[in-house]
Amino acid sequence: MEAPIVSSYIVMAGALAVLLNSAAVVVYVERRVAAFIQNRVGPNRVGPFGLFQPLADVIKLIFKEDVTPIYGNRTLHTLAPMFPVITALITVAVIPFGDGLFITNINVGVLFILAVTSLGVYGVTMAGWASNSKYSLLGGLRAAAQMLSYELPLGMAIASVVLFAASLSMVDIVNSQLYWWHVFVNPIGAIIFIIAAFAEANRTPFDLVEAEQELVGGFHTEYSSMKFGMFFLAEYMHVVIGSMLITTFFFGGYHLPFAGYYAHLLPEAGTWLKAMLDIAVFLGKTGFFVFLFIWVRWTIPRFKYTQLMSLGWSKLLPLSILNFAVIAFILMLIHG
Amino acid sequence: MEILNDLMNYLPAAIVAIGGLVVMMQDGYKVKSRTIYSTTMIFLGLALVVATHDLFFAERSELFSGMALSGGTAAYGTFIVVFGAFFTVILTHDYLIGVKHNFPQVYPLLMFCTVGMITLATANDLVTVFVGLETMSICLYALAGIIRDKRLGVESALKYFIMGAFSTGFFLYGIALLYGATGYTRLEEIGAFTDGGLIYWGGVSLLMVGFFFKVSAVPFHMWTPDVYTGSPTTIAAFMATAAKTATFVALVLVLERALPFAAEQLVGTFSVIAIMTMILGNVVALVQDNVKRMLAYSSIAHVGYLFVGLAAGTVEAYSAVLFYLLAYTFMNVGAFGVIAYYEKNHDVHFNNVESYSGLGYQQPIMAVLLSIFLFSLAGIPISAGFNAKLLVFAAAVDAGLIALVVIGVLASAASAYYYLRVMVYLYMREPKEVVTLIQPKLVYSVSLVLLAGLTLYFGVMVGDVMSMLNSFFAVSEAATAAAP
Amino acid sequence: MFEQYLPIIVLIGIAVTLALVLMLISRLIGPHRPNAPKLRPYESGMDPVGDAKERYSVSFYMVAMEFIVFDLEIVFIYPWAVRYQELGFGTFWAVMVFLSILTLGLFYTLKKESKSFEMTKTK
Repeated sequence: MEAPIVSSYIVMAGALAVLLNSAAVVVYVERRVAAFIQNRVGPNRVGPFGLFQPLADVIKLIFKEDVTPIYGNRTLHTLAPMFPVITALITVAVIPFGDGLFITNINVGVLFILAVTSLGVYGVTMAGWASNSKYSLLGGLRAAAQMLSYELPLGMAIASVVLFAASLSMVDIVNSQLYWWHVFVNPIGAIIFIIAAFAEANRTPFDLVEAEQELVGGFHTEYSSMKFGMFFLAEYMHVVIGSMLITTFFFGGYHLPFAGYYAHLLPEAGTWLKAMLDIAVFLGKTGFFVFLFIWVRWTIPRFKYTQLMSLGWSKLLPLSILNFAVIAFILMLIHG
Repeated sequence: MEILNDLMNYLPAAIVAIGGLVVMMQDGYKVKSRTIYSTTMIFLGLALVVATHDLFFAERSELFSGMALSGGTAAYGTFIVVFGAFFTVILTHDYLIGVKHNFPQVYPLLMFCTVGMITLATANDLVTVFVGLETMSICLYALAGIIRDKRLGVESALKYFIMGAFSTGFFLYGIALLYGATGYTRLEEIGAFTDGGLIYWGGVSLLMVGFFFKVSAVPFHMWTPDVYTGSPTTIAAFMATAAKTATFVALVLVLERALPFAAEQLVGTFSVIAIMTMILGNVVALVQDNVKRMLAYSSIAHVGYLFVGLAAGTVEAYSAVLFYLLAYTFMNVGAFGVIAYYEKNHDVHFNNVESYSGLGYQQPIMAVLLSIFLFSLAGIPISAGFNAKLLVFAAAVDAGLIALVVIGVLASAASAYYYLRVMVYLYMREPKEVVTLIQPKLVYSVSLVLLAGLTLYFGVMVGDVMSMLNSFFAVSEAATAAAP
Repeated sequence: MFEQYLPIIVLIGIAVTLALVLMLISRLIGPHRPNAPKLRPYESGMDPVGDAKERYSVSFYMVAMEFIVFDLEIVFIYPWAVRYQELGFGTFWAVMVFLSILTLGLFYTLKKESKSFEMTKTK
């Protein structure tokens, strides 16, 4: 068991580097894409093509004053921004990036993902509660209600994936997509999962948590300096993590489409080359979904709160349960 | 398929459960209250027919890989519970219309409650007992406060809920300790265990505390008067009869199958609790002016008589306890039914005994029915209540508990005072204010007459029922003897 | 068994350290000049009205309660979804009955408590 342990720490270092840098990259990409969609120029002053803009932002945030509002709960106010950052960082522990390239392969990987993502709601709620501000409180409560509501369809969609893999290990789930990606055999589940992932990341069209026009900044109205920076960082890390999860659960992870049918026809690649290819395929898909997140944000308007709740409870949840039941029945007929 | 076979043997519960879901959805989709009531009656009627059939013809067997029982005591408990629910629904419908709080949620809640009671009465595993008890209790908490714009109702629901949740903790901890001591939750497997250590006795005591609370034995009775007074009257009848029956059947099963060893040791405890319960229930009932509160204390007193049977601990005593529950269901649903009738003609707080002055000459049939039920509750001969008490006390005398029986008989004699006091007011006092009573609905009076008829019938004919009840335990004794 | 979870523990340690470091950097480097208007809760530039921590709508509580019910359902579903092929059709129907009862409950709540899913701050 010595070798995998060493490799897992190498992967961990790589994954953390990718994740932290990707947040910066995604911030930059978001602003450039937003500018492109709105026919503007976007950041172009700091460095070539404005590439150092995120770095400048971080430096600026570090040098700002850290304010805790009077009568706010100082402990919770300080603790709150750490939650989303920590949960985003530890989610990568079970995501496989390539054949044998994972930090760890526990047999309850799916449960780990569910447990960790549901921790994210604490940060937002605590931030809202500890700020002693009406905007923050309402934003935090809305966030809690929204994230709880969309966790259920998310969970049911993952359950329908588990039916195919008959395992809770993330590696087994990826390998069950060697021939057919789950998006082809379970399209409804994939759509539900993508929608729910958007809602869990609090991204448009589900960003009522920080709806500027009604709630100023929502739960982080009273946050400044790097505390705000951590919420900001976590939001973009959650976008990346969400994309990774969509890729892993429904778009074959590091597998090319229908790879099982033609993989043996291809020339044998060396260990390093294969690892590189796997990672490239995985990151390529992830990149596409990150782009989708941004694209949607600058294209689709925000929901009203009633619309959001009724979509989650009266449409997505029954649909996901029905989807699960139908898939289970068909699979029982095939295998049973 | 085995599961289908099990479901066929568990049909009353399945029917009531499906009925509950149907009625619930009807309520959700705003079907008329009248239709919801009819649907409830159809499903409960069907369940009653099946339960009656099971009572006479069902094979005794274990269902769902030993989690539940069918036939025998299980069928008997199911029958009483479904019977009680059926009449409660009839009375509740009229009562709630009368007091202008006709919430359709009552019907699904009553049916889910019934499912919980059936689960409890048919349990063969401590886990099943717990699930049934909680299903029943949670529905009862909601039912107690169903008239939510009256302060008393909300108070009673909250009291019931907080105390009930507290006692559930005892109950569950008792199960956990018993599991720790014996390694089983199945009743007969715990019963094979006779080496009492500290954990075993801790488990037994906590389990018994949970049961004592649910059946409101002194000193765990404090919630009963307030809850019964605040709840809608017919729901109070349901709590006092069906809920108590289900819990007592489970208690008898647990004592007889799981803890025969402990039951022998606990005779003293049961006797003390029986004495306290009988004395306190009867003495406090003597001074109650509110008729509902009086009946609540009288129900505590009746739990005392039932505990005399449990203390005796013989097969005859257990059978007598089961018969007592049947008789008690008839007469108590009836008594609460008549009180509900008086109440709905005036308002929810119309149950002071003085306001009953002279009501005996208006609508004489209702007054006569109330008198029959109260005579039976007091244990006056040619009524089911008399026979029930006689059988329980006789079994206790056979078991050598003479002192206990003497106290029981004295307490029972004292109880005649407060039951007869109501009749004195009904017939011998001049009315202070003129209260006009409207003619009761035909179905209302017919069901009360039926209950009164059954009360009188079982005042004469008990032999068949008793031999049937004895056979339940006789077979299980034989089965235990056959399987060494 | 434990080796598999060791990287997760290490990762949690790294994540917590990272979060603490980020937090401390701005504490140490940033200025600290508090004054009364700065510390007041932000209400679009006006003086704050009343306390922020007043009673809020019971509907948030309803949503939380619904969530617990269905989250438990999902927890029950997962073990079955892993082993359903060995367990056969009897268990399949049992799970389907379980699912459909809860779904009926969901529809009931949606019909009955539709107001609860409209999040508004009430008086």
